[in-house]
Amino acid sequence: MNLLRQLELEHMKSAIPDFGIGDTVDVHYMIKEGDKERIQVFSGTVIAIQGSGIRRVATVRRLVAGEGVERIFPLHSPRVATVEVKERGLVRRAKLYYLRDREGKGTRVKPNMGKLRFPRSGKGSGIQKTAPKTES
Amino acid sequence: MSLGILGKKLGMTQIFKEDGTCVPVTIVQAGPCKVLQVKMATAAEFAEGDKTASVNRGKKSGRVARPRRADGYYAVQLGFDNKPARVSSKAELGHAKKAGADATRLVREFRLAAAPTVKTGEEVTVKLLEGVKCVDVVGITKGRGWTGTIKRHNFSQQPMSHGNSLNHRTGGGLGRQHSISSGVPKGKRMAGHYGVERVTVQNLEVVKIDAERNLVYLHGAVPGHNRGYLVLQKTKKVARVIAAPPGVKVKK
Repeated sequence: MNLLRQLELEHMKSAIPDFGIGDTVDVHYMIKEGDKERIQVFSGTVIAIQGSGIRRVATVRRLVAGEGVERIFPLHSPRVATVEVKERGLVRRAKLYYLRDREGKGTRVKPNMGKLRFPRSGKGSGIQKTAPKTES
Repeated sequence: MSLGILGKKLGMTQIFKEDGTCVPVTIVQAGPCKVLQVKMATAAEFAEGDKTASVNRGKKSGRVARPRRADGYYAVQLGFDNKPARVSSKAELGHAKKAGADATRLVREFRLAAAPTVKTGEEVTVKLLEGVKCVDVVGITKGRGWTGTIKRHNFSQQPMSHGNSLNHRTGGGLGRQHSISSGVPKGKRMAGHYGVERVTVQNLEVVKIDAERNLVYLHGAVPGHNRGYLVLQKTKKVARVIAAPPGVKVKK
């Protein structure tokens, strides 16, 4: 294996939750308030995943008071505690940037009713109608 | 002037600090380097094994040993990245043999202010950088071929519109006309070959040292392509200490 990739692996989290584009997720993110640290939950739709290895980031979009808010989370950052999958989405693109131009009902992503297999990245996946419990 | 170490750029990635800060790092394989030669200002300072040098006196007498002359300055010559004997010249092989080493692809000398403590044949490893906060890195930049003035000398682009035609990335005027000192000034910056030059990047923070695998993680980018050779040395930059004005408490 490429040495650089090997070194990257050593700094990566052993596992990141299996989620994909179009999924509705809760990202538990550590924030600092003064001296205290607490976990904040950012829930929204995953509209893009970019990068590989330790540089992997996910863009999560949600609507706050009718205004679109997007946050980019480095998945291997120690500040991203967990990513909880709320609902699997059924989408036909890798990047859901079209959601930015939509309002109201148009922003909904079709729920995946067991049509796609999970986990997407692994072997031995069975059809699961409910979102599987994700590891942190 | 201090002893440095030779290395090879492996590539860039990022790592996270404990507080979540993302640090862009270049991973460099630094050493192990063999000390090929130690140079001394006076002959008396040579180590025991270095006191004699052999000289070829022709077919009749062959190689004859004689006292080694002083080099006139202090320096340590390091070799890095062994290369097979079949691609080495006899001169390289003979020189490395004196240090009990293989011929190396990269040989560099470090000038020192005082007599070096390392001896010929010893190994210099990345442990040399332990406790060093920042380093200067010398490398050969990537070649860019023939480039225009915008890329090569950071000239500005000309307007894309407002009547400008066909002169968007050209260098502009070269000199003055109709005056006593007409002609193009010497050293006028123009288009030409850019890159493949020796560049030093100063004050790169040493993020992490992996002594087991001879790796050092540096904050930021270093010159050259991956697998390019580098020279790492403790930085010349002096950390500036700003004294607090009297009566002002410094937050720690």
